[in-house]
Amino acid sequence: MIQAINIKKVYTVGKVEIAALKGISLEIKEGEFVSITGSSGSGKSTLMHILGCLDRPTSGKLFLDDKEVGKLKGNALAEIRNKKIGFVFQQFNLLSRSTAFRNVELPLVYAGVNRRERAERARIALEKVEMAHRLYHRPSELSGGEGQRIAIARALVTKPSLILADEPTGNLDSKTGEGILELFQKLHLQGHTLIVITHERYVSEYAERIIHLKDGLIEQDERRN
Amino acid sequence: MKFTETFRSALDGLNANRTRAFLSMLGIIIGIAAVIIIISVTQGSQRSISERIEALGTNLINVSPGIRGGFAGMRARALADLFTLEDGEEILKKASAVKRVVPVINRRLLLQYKDKNAEIVVNGITPDYQEVLNFWVEEGRFIDYRDLKSFRTVIVLGEGVANDLFGDEDPLGQSIVVNGPLSRYKFRVIGVMQSKGRVMFFNFDDQAFIPISTAQKRLFHTKYVQNFSIQAESKETTDEAIEEIDAILYQKFQDDTKYSISSQEQLLSTMSSVMQTFAIMLVGIAGISLLVGGIGIMNIMLVSVTERTREIGIRMAVGAKRVDILLQFLWESVLLCLIGGAVGVSLGWIGSKIIAFIGSRVLPDMGALPTVISPEAILLALGFATAVGLFFGIYPANKASKLDPVEALRYG
Ligand SMILES: Nc1ncnc2c1ncn2[C@@H]1O[C@H](COP(=O)(O)OP(=O)(O)OP(=O)(O)O)[C@@H](O)[C@H]1O
Ligand SMILES: [Mg+2]
Repeated sequence: MIQAINIKKVYTVGKVEIAALKGISLEIKEGEFVSITGSSGSGKSTLMHILGCLDRPTSGKLFLDDKEVGKLKGNALAEIRNKKIGFVFQQFNLLSRSTAFRNVELPLVYAGVNRRERAERARIALEKVEMAHRLYHRPSELSGGEGQRIAIARALVTKPSLILADEPTGNLDSKTGEGILELFQKLHLQGHTLIVITHERYVSEYAERIIHLKDGLIEQDERRN
Repeated sequence: MKFTETFRSALDGLNANRTRAFLSMLGIIIGIAAVIIIISVTQGSQRSISERIEALGTNLINVSPGIRGGFAGMRARALADLFTLEDGEEILKKASAVKRVVPVINRRLLLQYKDKNAEIVVNGITPDYQEVLNFWVEEGRFIDYRDLKSFRTVIVLGEGVANDLFGDEDPLGQSIVVNGPLSRYKFRVIGVMQSKGRVMFFNFDDQAFIPISTAQKRLFHTKYVQNFSIQAESKETTDEAIEEIDAILYQKFQDDTKYSISSQEQLLSTMSSVMQTFAIMLVGIAGISLLVGGIGIMNIMLVSVTERTREIGIRMAVGAKRVDILLQFLWESVLLCLIGGAVGVSLGWIGSKIIAFIGSRVLPDMGALPTVISPEAILLALGFATAVGLFFGIYPANKASKLDPVEALRYG
């Protein structure tokens, strides 16, 4: 479902060129639970932004559901993010002034789904992350683990092909983090495709495949069972 | 995304920082309130002036001595010995478009009744005055031709004067003393006029009427009259009548600066154009305040965009298109201006009522200063506010929509 061919990303800061990704080729199949690891600065987040269509590669080809998306721009990318991708961030990235419910329904708002259906689907997504009892709380009234569950519900609500998580447990204590990872495990068993970025060993243990990055290249691609 | 949803996001944005939203609206509120007050006061006075002047009849023509130069020009004009009764008769006879001619002498005189007195304008006139000025007696009778012929000392009081001198008493048949410049006479009250109110600074109810013959012979000892109030045959023939009168007077005086002829309609249009110029000037000044208010809104919106960079990033990550972000922020600034405009309209409305009230207290002689809030004025004000919101909102909104999603998410 994802096929990346020789993806490169070069940042230009002033006159200095920084090659964040130096040629990444990989294929991820539907329903896979992949963990991307690597030390700080190895290009994990950069890769995730490109796979998630938030950013465009400097060169290389990227296919999502057999459609070339590497060259798409603005509105087309926004539509792919909206329909096919769900993001989970380290800092949760919830709208701080909106309720949990509003946060979860937001992607559906941009998808043009009507109010009734939004409410229904947001409720189902919140149930999946066991947060149906916190509908009208704002992020500041939730614990870190609860906040991240809301963020996961938001990622799930559009029934995306792919869920991308960048250090989802980075801001949580290990016990809460494990709860989140068990939730990912559950989603994986339900058939979702997941990519979780982490530099913590125990996090990658949950995945069935670990891709290790080093200096913008894939150093190791290991399948487990 | 649907229109209502961008609108809702914008409302959420404003709601989150109400104090700031209010403060940034202040400029718009003040500007719009000023526009509303100015428009309501000028429209109101314009309307009342033209209503009242029209009530005097639009086919009314005034003939008076020409304006003299100098500081006391107006007074010199009133005292000029120029026209005689015969001039009036000649105009009536020769000018075919003229229906009636009323010669007038008027002076400010002191009237006394028992211990009460009033200093008012006393008009020497002929019986046609009622028709020409469309100003009628209400009680008793008006001056008639027998009064004129016999130089009778009879007087018809304006409604205001009658009230001042007699209060609840019945003025008809009573005697009052009129103090002329040289002598005092007892006059018998034979009528009281209907109430006509004010036109500009002149109160129609604070005057009195006596036969012009009596005024000339007994009070002022003159054979001259001050001016003529002339009624044209119809509204359409007014211009024709003016030309005829001009021809007659020019033949007599051989100098067209000695006299002046003006129709009520000319007066009306001069006055309304003066008012309009005045209003446009004031609205221009208020417009500057709107401009300043708009810049304030732009400033706040720019701050808001920066502050909410991460929010913008989040929205983009979940699928907001650039146009969605653009509309959200544009809506915010338009809403700010519209709410500010609505508050401004209400404040302006209250303000114009207060001005009307204070005006009637401070300047009782002007009568109630009328104010009119027309739907057009409100629409104009709100339209203007929207335009300000769009104009000054487009730059910040565009800036927000151009943010790079990855960088926006990393912000702060
Ligand atoms: N916007 C940018 N401009 C310039 N250089 C950038 C930019 N974003 C990332 N980089 C550089 O690209 C490289 C990879 O960064 P990236 O954020 O992908 O690392 P990472 O593996 O996610 O690290 P971490 O574990 O610390 O999050 C780094 O050297 C970084 O400095
Ligand atoms: Mg990173």
